[in-house]
Amino acid sequence: MTDESALLREPWIDFGRQLEAGKFGIWVFLASETLFFGALLLTYTVCRIEHPDAFAAAGRETNVWYGTINTAVLLTSSLTMAVAAQAAKESARLRRVVLAGLMITAMLGLAFIVIKGFEYKEDLDKHLVPGAGFALPQPGAQLFYGFYWLVTGVHAIHLSIGIALVSRLIWVLYRRELPAKDNPEIEVTALYWHLVDIVWIFLYPLIYLPGRAS
Amino acid sequence: MTDALLAGELPLPPRPDYLRHGSTIRSWLATTDHKRIAILYAVTITVFFFMGGAAITAVRLELFQPNGWLLTSDTYNKLFSFHGIIMVWFFLVPSIPNTFGNFLLPLMIGAPDVAFPRLNLFSWYLTIAAGAFTVYALVAGGVDTGWTFYTPYSSMFSNTHVFAAAAGVFVVGFASISTGVNFIATTHMLRAPGMTWFRLPLFVWAIYATSLIMVLATPVLAISLLLVIAERVLGLPIFDPARGGDPILFQHLFWFYSHPAVYIMVLPAMGVVSEIIPCFARRRIFGYDFMVYAMLAIAGIGFFVWGHHMFVSGQSALASLVFSFLSFIIAVPSAIKVFNWTASLYRGQISFESPMLYALGFVGLFTTGGLSGLFLASIPIDIHVTDTYFVVAHFHYIMVGGSVSAFFAGLHFWWPKVTGRLYPERWAKFAAILMYAGFNMTFLPQFFAGYLGMPRRYHTYPAEFQIYNVMSSAGAAVLALAYLLPLGYLTWSLFYGGKAARNPWSATGLEWTTSSPPPPKNFDRQPRVDRAPYDYHAEGVSAGTAPPEMQNARETR
Amino acid sequence: MSGRGASNDIRRLWVRNLIIWAALLLLLLLSLVAAYIPMGRITTASGIVIAGAKSTLVVLLFMELSSAKPLIRLAAISGLVFLIAMFALTFADVLARP
Repeated sequence: MTDESALLREPWIDFGRQLEAGKFGIWVFLASETLFFGALLLTYTVCRIEHPDAFAAAGRETNVWYGTINTAVLLTSSLTMAVAAQAAKESARLRRVVLAGLMITAMLGLAFIVIKGFEYKEDLDKHLVPGAGFALPQPGAQLFYGFYWLVTGVHAIHLSIGIALVSRLIWVLYRRELPAKDNPEIEVTALYWHLVDIVWIFLYPLIYLPGRAS
Repeated sequence: MTDALLAGELPLPPRPDYLRHGSTIRSWLATTDHKRIAILYAVTITVFFFMGGAAITAVRLELFQPNGWLLTSDTYNKLFSFHGIIMVWFFLVPSIPNTFGNFLLPLMIGAPDVAFPRLNLFSWYLTIAAGAFTVYALVAGGVDTGWTFYTPYSSMFSNTHVFAAAAGVFVVGFASISTGVNFIATTHMLRAPGMTWFRLPLFVWAIYATSLIMVLATPVLAISLLLVIAERVLGLPIFDPARGGDPILFQHLFWFYSHPAVYIMVLPAMGVVSEIIPCFARRRIFGYDFMVYAMLAIAGIGFFVWGHHMFVSGQSALASLVFSFLSFIIAVPSAIKVFNWTASLYRGQISFESPMLYALGFVGLFTTGGLSGLFLASIPIDIHVTDTYFVVAHFHYIMVGGSVSAFFAGLHFWWPKVTGRLYPERWAKFAAILMYAGFNMTFLPQFFAGYLGMPRRYHTYPAEFQIYNVMSSAGAAVLALAYLLPLGYLTWSLFYGGKAARNPWSATGLEWTTSSPPPPKNFDRQPRVDRAPYDYHAEGVSAGTAPPEMQNARETR
Repeated sequence: MSGRGASNDIRRLWVRNLIIWAALLLLLLLSLVAAYIPMGRITTASGIVIAGAKSTLVVLLFMELSSAKPLIRLAAISGLVFLIAMFALTFADVLARP
């Protein structure tokens, strides 16, 4: 009961309702995000339909190991995030599990960005930036890398926001400013985190797997 | 209060209304009260409205003569671009949703505030930041792409401040999305006891349907502008045909947002009119259920018609065919609404106060605009009039004749509730009639000029079109006066207007059951709803002039 | 007593989610392998289908959509519906160009 009154916000009088509204609100926002990234995927798809061979050639130039490892890293971060969110709902005794889960999640998120940084470095060395001096001859390959830089950048920004949100949660929970049990911010942050993961799940075959079989 | 006393309720202690609840600047700029945020938005969009209006005044002056006597072509391009960008994203899109929607949505559903009050304030700050970008784009030298930012011109050729303008629109999009999320959650989660979905006022339905579009369409606008920015700044080739890119793809992305955006602009206007017409006809709205379904249908089908902006873009014939067909379909729910407004007048006790004048003006102008839209949905006619003043006239009939008229209708209708003051009705009626006349003087000639082949976006034109342009520019002067009048007398009323009662129009709806202006938390007691909206007369009877049964008998009287 | 209850809770939580995680990693491996098998268009499709399967797992189980209220499901699906419309109608142009 005290937990709930500490978490209750204007204009709500019923905590259960507030919880539901927060969850519903973030899902509506995720629907919006679906179209945000969906529009980028549409751009990719149209360009790939127009230049299938160039996209295969360009896809071969990406480093599939960085991509695969990073996918595994993000999938694992979703695991720890899910455990943290479920533990927060389960019982107040699991506060340490929540904190541990959030910390590993944030660290995995950081690991993803560090690995991505190494990959960017390699891409720069291989002259895979569209413009003069681009490594591949086909014009469509520049489209692929235009998409690559843009979408991985936008994804990295989303992930950084996610890491910031999780870090803030850790801080607030660690200092016991807010209880972990049923804290709506944990669930909302978790849902956002999973969406960023799903975006990457789709980017993985589109960026790293074209042209591997030929 | 005597009835409340008889019912066994104690009178409440006096409390300040939301306007007098705090008077520091901080109490405004850090407020989370949806009513104060609505006022912040109202001030903001008023400033933007007159900025956009000033730009087009120069354009209309220029077009007074065919030879380009006033402006260079560069300046002309920048002025109409600025006009379009400001009017679409900084006036029309936020106009009714963010002012009246913010103010009325919680009041109409009997809630103390929106679901996420801090997000609501954040959205206003985003709007301000976005406005700063856009105004910077003008001050720094302007942008000349038109409001549509078409590629490859915007991405490769324009030497103007496309980046700042696109960034402004990009940011204001996120303000739009956060407001949409907020309103959707509010409508679902905060309705008062007894306020079932089919007891919601149509204005709430309109705001709800609008919010759906804001949330689902705006992200695609963000991407289209992000791609333009990326191409300009980073040199990505996405829209560059020379490097294999696809400039038409930009139009798909842009219009996937910008056609539904037309309904972001006009659905709230329909909501406003649906509140006003029953009140001044003393009639229930005709076909409430169908009005709801029609609005949801417009919001949904609105997503599937964007390609009718692209009939001459070089898209495939199949796509043109599909989009043309779907564009005809969307006329059906729009027509249902027009017929239902008209039918609501039948056997009514109609009185012509200023809000009603504006609302009736809306119905007429929206119908004209909508019917001319059918011309444009038909491919052969569209190819003939593409990029002519026919198109300009068409969408101004919808957006200015429709949405702006409805904005003024709502402004007058809810002014007593928002400010607690009465405005001079004679002046208001005069302004309403002047606006209608001025509007038609301005835009009716453009249908003719366009049909005869006068292209849009040129600062010179053949002398044979001068007669239409002189009429249009003269009308614009009348229209400008009609827009300035309310600024004068409404401001006057803030200081000298009579005090408004709770319910000056004897309207139904929860917002009229609380005091004018409302208290900070909207209602002194939790309202309960026990009847459908627009209960102006008993079922199966003609309209009377007696005050209606109110939503919540306990609150009124 | 309460300590044991908590550790049981913790084990249950981890076991349940680790199974999902293992399935996700397996699918990741599968899509990596499939990408190297020349099957023409099916190779491309396999990557996207497997991504769809992985997302379904995350959405239903990690994001708990499988046990969510109908309203939440509706919100989740709405984005997908309009995304499909955007793809379909754009393809009406791109795939049918002369």
